[in-house]
Amino acid sequence: MFSGFRSSSSSFLKGLTALASFVVVLLSITLLNRHSAFPGTSESPAFVYAAQEQPRVLSPISIDYPEDGSVFPPGITPPTFLWRDAAGTSWSIDVTFADKSAPVHALSKGERMRLGEIDPECVSDSNSPPKLNTQQAATWTWTPDAATWAAIQSHSIEQPATVTITGYRDGQVAYSRSHVAMATSRDEVGAPIFYRDVPLMPSAGIGGAVQPLAPSSVHLIHWRIRDIRKPESHTVLKDMPTCANCHSFSADGKTFGMDIDGPANDKGLYAVVPVQKHMTIESKDMVHWNTDGLVGKVRVGFMSQVSPDGRYVLSTFAGPAVDRMIDSYYVTNFMDYRFLQVFFPTRGILEYYNRATGLRQPLPGADDPKYVQTDGVWSPDGKYIVFARAEARDPRPQGQPHATHANDPNETQIKYELYRIPFNEGKGGKPERIIGASANGMSNNFPKISPDGKWIVFVQCKNGQLMRPDSQLYIIPSAGGTPRRLRANTRLMNSWHSFSPNGHWLVFSSKARSPYTQMYLTHLDANGNDTPAILIDNATAANRAVNIPEFVNISPDGIDEIQVHVADGGK
Amino acid sequence: MAGNRTKTGIWVAPSDAITRAGLRPKIIHLAFLLLVLFWMPHISAQNCVPPESMKPRLQGHADAAALKDLGVWFAEQKNYACAANAFATSLQTDPNQKDVAHIAFMFGVSLYFSGDAKEGIAALQEAEKLGYKDIKLHLILAEALDAAHDTAAAETQWRAALEIDPEYSDALDNLSSDLIAEGNFKGTIEVLEIPRLVSLRTAQQSLNLGLAYAKLNKLDDAIRVLRDGLNTTPDSLPLANELADVLTQMNRKEEAATVLEVARARQAAEPAATTH
Repeated sequence: MFSGFRSSSSSFLKGLTALASFVVVLLSITLLNRHSAFPGTSESPAFVYAAQEQPRVLSPISIDYPEDGSVFPPGITPPTFLWRDAAGTSWSIDVTFADKSAPVHALSKGERMRLGEIDPECVSDSNSPPKLNTQQAATWTWTPDAATWAAIQSHSIEQPATVTITGYRDGQVAYSRSHVAMATSRDEVGAPIFYRDVPLMPSAGIGGAVQPLAPSSVHLIHWRIRDIRKPESHTVLKDMPTCANCHSFSADGKTFGMDIDGPANDKGLYAVVPVQKHMTIESKDMVHWNTDGLVGKVRVGFMSQVSPDGRYVLSTFAGPAVDRMIDSYYVTNFMDYRFLQVFFPTRGILEYYNRATGLRQPLPGADDPKYVQTDGVWSPDGKYIVFARAEARDPRPQGQPHATHANDPNETQIKYELYRIPFNEGKGGKPERIIGASANGMSNNFPKISPDGKWIVFVQCKNGQLMRPDSQLYIIPSAGGTPRRLRANTRLMNSWHSFSPNGHWLVFSSKARSPYTQMYLTHLDANGNDTPAILIDNATAANRAVNIPEFVNISPDGIDEIQVHVADGGK
Repeated sequence: MAGNRTKTGIWVAPSDAITRAGLRPKIIHLAFLLLVLFWMPHISAQNCVPPESMKPRLQGHADAAALKDLGVWFAEQKNYACAANAFATSLQTDPNQKDVAHIAFMFGVSLYFSGDAKEGIAALQEAEKLGYKDIKLHLILAEALDAAHDTAAAETQWRAALEIDPEYSDALDNLSSDLIAEGNFKGTIEVLEIPRLVSLRTAQQSLNLGLAYAKLNKLDDAIRVLRDGLNTTPDSLPLANELADVLTQMNRKEEAATVLEVARARQAAEPAATTH
């Protein structure tokens, strides 16, 4: 009886095993077929390896990019995944989706991180070629092809996908594993980014005085425009005979303004032109910051901003109390190409230029010579201005030693606070300090107001403003409140930020990966919460720097070229 | 290019651009001049033959600039004793010359490279007091002080170097090692646990930081740092060993065994791999 039972039981078990095997094979075929729906992915799904895994505690892999919680804009070109792993010698990358669609699986034998192309014209004795840092030299990479990335994006909208990287050695035995969550936003970036693309080539001029760029190299500065859905940027302006600086577009994308020094190095010029596919800046487009007694002799504008409706340009000027430009700015240049300049105003007032009348006038309430008032930006409705303010001081007090590097304690110390003032059709008003962006022992500067007017994102650093190694981005309600450090901040220098016209994205510059500055994106939700930084790949050569990125409210092909014909310096 | 390389790899070219900022020739320390004068007879015994091209400038009463140039020339020939002699004579000839701090620095460096570490340190310290500002001064001085077992003074110099370049890895390696050696684990963490530095950490820094956390019984932090360090420098046996130790302390013996197994496998595959 017992033996009969054993016999029938054994047969039953054999049958069950066979059935189970059949089900496994059937499931495998089904899953393989589903899997192959993703072009460009491997034919070997994860569970093939999983079946060969030995039970062991897997060592964590360091996944450096994308960071956990990253949100990508729809349509962005495929990113390069980065990780470090002491255990693996080959890897699988598995992307699983909350919408239950078939996972993506890919294999990587491990490609090392590589630097981009070098611009030979920007190689100099005063800089170093870009190189991989300690971590980057140990980094493995995988870049999905366009079809795979499109599949990942389409199944990770709103609900995050999980990216699992598994390291193998010794014949596909898993030794290491980690995962991160990433998602694709429904929010389009919706506008191209205009930016300046510069060499980092400080130069010791006559008498050893350091210049950020030798005059003979000024032509190497390019202005480019980038549609993040395209793999490359488009150069719209280069070979300028003269130095040009900060640019600004009106909120409606119809007006463009840019500081231009002029061939005669006449720094009192400003170009204001309508935005067109083929733009030409001619002498008639140049604004000469006029020099009547009301506004002072020094006519160098700083951080000029075109008003949302394009009628005005707001800028910082030294004001009537200052006779020489050098009495209103602290500037020191260094031969260290990584941070080659410190530059910030120590005296100055806000003035606005009326394009209709051709006059520039101080803005009452932001024209107090006891203070330096700078970085003025318009609210989206043009009704108020947010600006940075600090007590005015000598830029270089007598006996003060020269600073020899960025953030040298010998720099003139200044800590700005953010203020807000009504524009009131040029009549100004009483400035109000913005709580949360003032009186915090730090320098609060470079404010930008979100297109819906709800938020201000500004920079905080220990001293001064612009190109500060320790600069960090903070967000605050536009009426003031508790500031919140952006999650997107990287390890080194975060500044030059700009809101996308729809307010969902912020672009900014950082030296996180290289001394040669790159630009990044972060997504902002309705509550001002942001996400880890997303690199905009291939914005320039590996030995050039991206700065002053600005979203422009135009179609991606809205500007094809800008020609500058100001042979007479605009005079 | 003539010059010399210190243990920390810093290249010292005698003709480096002079930092004039903050120089105050009038306040040259008497002690420094005495040091120079004291040192002169010792080095003047050397056979220091100037090049033919410079002899016209050195005949009769050579001026301070010519003597400085002679020092630079000797340094370029790696004849540091003669270089020191020339720089000392230059300083003695004109203690108020405008580049005095830089010449004092070159004098100190020449002494140090000629093998006279004690006098070299003293001269470099004087160059610092004279206002010479260059990361190389701090790096050489720190290295010399460490070699002389004056750890506290070396730490000050490493910190001064890091003020100029917060990412300078040799300074971070050495400062954190000094701090670990003296049991200052909290100080080690303060120096190394800075977001800016995470992606630049060397194996030595990861090890020091992991050790500091482990010594303070912050074992989770120690594992985090050591794991990340090992992922960056997989061939580092000290990192693998320390990580295995900490995992064992936490009774995670299987993980510790895997770490050691992988480390051994890597060493077997790459026997010539360095430990750092």
